[in-house]
Amino acid sequence: MSEVTDSGFLCRLDDLAEGEARGFDVPGLRAKVIVVRRGGGVHGWRDLCPHYAGGTPMAWKRDAYLNGARTHLACHAHGAWFEIETGVCVQGPCLGKRLTRVPLRLDDKGGIHLERPPKGREI
Amino acid sequence: MQIIGPDLLIFGVDDVPACHEFLTAYGLETTDYTPEKGGTFLALDGTGLVIRARNDPSLPPALKTGSTLRLQVLGVVDEDALNAVEAELSRDRQVLRLADGSLRTQDDQGFELAFRVTTRKPLDLPGEKVNAPYAPARAANALGVTQDMPAKPRTLSHLVLFVPDIEGAVGFYRDRLGFRITDTLTGAGPFLRPQANADHHTHFFIRTPPYMQGIEHLAFHLGGPTELMLAGSRMMEQGYESFWGPGRHKFGSNWFWYFKSPLACNVEFDADMDTHDDDWAPREAPMGPEASQAFLLQWRAKWAPGGGPGGPGGPKD
Repeated sequence: MSEVTDSGFLCRLDDLAEGEARGFDVPGLRAKVIVVRRGGGVHGWRDLCPHYAGGTPMAWKRDAYLNGARTHLACHAHGAWFEIETGVCVQGPCLGKRLTRVPLRLDDKGGIHLERPPKGREI
Repeated sequence: MQIIGPDLLIFGVDDVPACHEFLTAYGLETTDYTPEKGGTFLALDGTGLVIRARNDPSLPPALKTGSTLRLQVLGVVDEDALNAVEAELSRDRQVLRLADGSLRTQDDQGFELAFRVTTRKPLDLPGEKVNAPYAPARAANALGVTQDMPAKPRTLSHLVLFVPDIEGAVGFYRDRLGFRITDTLTGAGPFLRPQANADHHTHFFIRTPPYMQGIEHLAFHLGGPTELMLAGSRMMEQGYESFWGPGRHKFGSNWFWYFKSPLACNVEFDADMDTHDDDWAPREAPMGPEASQAFLLQWRAKWAPGGGPGGPGGPKD
């Protein structure tokens, strides 16, 4: 299980291959943060599918967030697909809705951090 | 109409090897599998799922929504029952009789349907037995649970569909195919039972906008709640992700535990569903958390209380 420290450090860029996604438990957050590396960019999204109010987690297995062709983030409850760069749902039950972005910060040593680590505890 | 229920559900998926991995962990028996072509995944009585690649030319056409469910194969009791289905549905649609004797057609929503004389093999396996005070169900020395006891899906139980036209769907299955409505969740839809199956439901419909039409989940029956808890716990220990459960539904009384899957729908373990006959008076309740379950639990890793502070199982463990 990937754990996150107070500094908001998630992992090193080198630990995340191009086209790969991983989920991180962040103390204080009720759902994981998904980090996806694609096309030279790194994107952070809450692991909360917007199909149902409040959101539900999306992987079918630990870190299994992508569709088969690895072109989209997918919710494996009902097959919604989301654009990796924008978080917009392009197919499935939450068509037109979007994932919640988590701003990330890259340090000069190649570390990926949460830009704003949570202070309190999310309900 | 002597329909029993789904014998096979046929899928066109995005990631065949992922489905193979998931369905194997779920406990289905794989036959004729290759990563390119997919395969068949069977429960103990021979009902099950067929997994193919989304663009496999042997599959019926997909719904416009891209739902992965491509065909329901419904089992009927015998050749007379098959002829009855053919006669009824041929009144207003094309019904093909294929070389293997099965029927192919579509329902009123455009879901592809096949009918065949069922190939399910009745099982000679005991159900879970519960010892209650003054009413033991197990023989002396018969154990209720062992860590490695089998917890395999025994038969395909039911499927749930997102449908844009509930009235049309009910009209087709009830009025044309003779299904009985057992109960209704108002705001979602009805539970349906075919005449040759006593189970509370083999089909359940949820009203949705047209762009959502497709499969919501499917479920297999296990031998009882202990098997369900074991099967689900084994999934959790391997890193598969629960969607809902474990818990026990109110309508149907079935224990449930849903897992997200690479089939692009939830796949449920189910146990101890109510059975009904035509004397049953359907109930109705508003869809929501209260009506959906008698109770809902959440899995956690194994833990045990220990001796004193600092000892095994203490705060530091």
